[in-house]
Amino acid sequence: MNENQGSIRFTDGNIVYPNGTVGMKDLNLEIRPGEFVVIVGSSGAGKSTLLRAINGLNRMTSGTVEVDGTKVPQKDGRELRLLRKRVGMIFQDFRLVKRLTVMSNVLIGRLAHVPGWRAMFNLWPAHDRDVAMKALERVGITEKAWVKASQLSGGQQQRVGIARALAQEPAIILADEPVASLDPVTTHQIMKDLVRINRELGITTLVNLHFLDLAKQYGERIIGLRFGELVYDGSAANVTDEDFRDIYGRDFTEDDVLDEDVIG
Amino acid sequence: MNVAPPKPARNWPLLIGTIAFLVGMTWWSGHGIGFSLTELLCNLAGGQRLLQESWPPDFAFLPRLYGPFLETIYIAIIGTVVGGILAIPVAVLAARNLTLGRVVWFADRNFMNILRTLPDLFWAMMFATAVGFGPVAGALALSVFTIAVISKLWSESLEAIDMGMPEAVRAAGGTWLQMIQFGAIPQGLQHYVSYALYAFELNVRASMVLGLVGAGGIGMILETQRANFEYERVTMIILAVLVAVLLIEQLSESIRKRLA
Ligand SMILES: Nc1ncnc2c1ncn2[C@@H]1O[C@H](COP(=O)(O)OP(=O)(O)O)[C@@H](O)[C@H]1O
Ligand SMILES: [Mg+2]
Repeated sequence: MNENQGSIRFTDGNIVYPNGTVGMKDLNLEIRPGEFVVIVGSSGAGKSTLLRAINGLNRMTSGTVEVDGTKVPQKDGRELRLLRKRVGMIFQDFRLVKRLTVMSNVLIGRLAHVPGWRAMFNLWPAHDRDVAMKALERVGITEKAWVKASQLSGGQQQRVGIARALAQEPAIILADEPVASLDPVTTHQIMKDLVRINRELGITTLVNLHFLDLAKQYGERIIGLRFGELVYDGSAANVTDEDFRDIYGRDFTEDDVLDEDVIG
Repeated sequence: MNVAPPKPARNWPLLIGTIAFLVGMTWWSGHGIGFSLTELLCNLAGGQRLLQESWPPDFAFLPRLYGPFLETIYIAIIGTVVGGILAIPVAVLAARNLTLGRVVWFADRNFMNILRTLPDLFWAMMFATAVGFGPVAGALALSVFTIAVISKLWSESLEAIDMGMPEAVRAAGGTWLQMIQFGAIPQGLQHYVSYALYAFELNVRASMVLGLVGAGGIGMILETQRANFEYERVTMIILAVLVAVLLIEQLSESIRKRLA
């Protein structure tokens, strides 16, 4: 799909918001192509800030972020759009056009691939419709292609969100708390989908989570953030409760885990 | 526990002052335009004669209203469609969350305000000097009027949309235009249709008034018959207009209700 397989590198990355809040502090981080990385940290730790820096939705105050060795452009324009074309994003609140069909929503993932006038007049090339349909196939909801997005359950809507990202044929997928609005059963299904897609297609995948047990269960590599700083970086297999305590700076509560019986 | 605050005492000086001010202003304004109650009472007799001459309505005249009436509707339709389309970019650029930078926003806001400040009759005069008196000038004037009405209302709805979807379009590598088309407009579509129908209602009425100054249609017939002292025909026209406007408003309102 892509010769460049989606590596990410932060070098001395800092993001300070206009109101003075520090969103990212001295971040040095390297992510290899095809990795499945879970980012944990309490609310406000800077998880979203990190993800959104990778596709330029957040601008760096200093330092750089590179994708496959190319700096992420820090101003709007063609260069940034070309980068974003290769980076799919999945959101907590799905972000679908509810009154349009599933297919129309997934085709938004093809916007950067077709001439502007074709998208404008809804004259999508057969190839792009095909890619969109394959993306729906990959998340198992082809039968919903012509249904209005508003008629789907939360889990199905998030699958459409994933399909839209896949339709970009991306090298990287950024998922910002993709399961935070879903029930436990659906949560596990969506996490499994993300892992499976990562294995099948080798797309570098970064998932923000705030549930510790999910991070441990599905993560390959876990990154812990606290006040915008990298405080943990290691394999999910080795992460201990002690590490989590350090990341969160406090003991766990029921709110930190999805299945309560996991707390020791 | 909630303790109700004591009822504030009525501010008598303010109340009396306000009433005195309003009465004074009305007297002063009436004096200014030469309004006199005695004169009005004396003229009531003349008014009564006019009313008698205007009744009954001349129903035989009704078929001859058909053509002019259609013309009025055509003018309103053209004004709504042309103005409705042009209002889209004007509204989008006037919405703070969607516009293309402060300079464009500021310029567009001012443009919008100028359109809104000048009355439709002014635009009719302007276009009449350009293309001559007639239906075309009327339709052009109503187009401008429609831009003013829709862009003002719609830019405010657009400012209230959820910016999540537009951001998702940008995150997928979409251009500004695509962000507007695929992220913003779907959320504002219902409002747009509703405002366009509202503009159409206003345009039907405005189109009749413009007819009075020569833009054709029903308003022009009304003016001709009035000038010829054909008061029973005038009554017929007014009745027909009343019914037509009520029907159009009912129709438009029921569509808008269904959309909401
Ligand atoms: N647009 C913004 N303006 C100001 N402060 C922000 C903005 N976005 C995030 N922040 C702040 O930056 C910090 C990190 O936020 P975020 O990356 O959203 O954390 P997380 O996703 O881990 O909950 C928080 O303190 C948050 O309040
Ligand atoms: Mg967040």
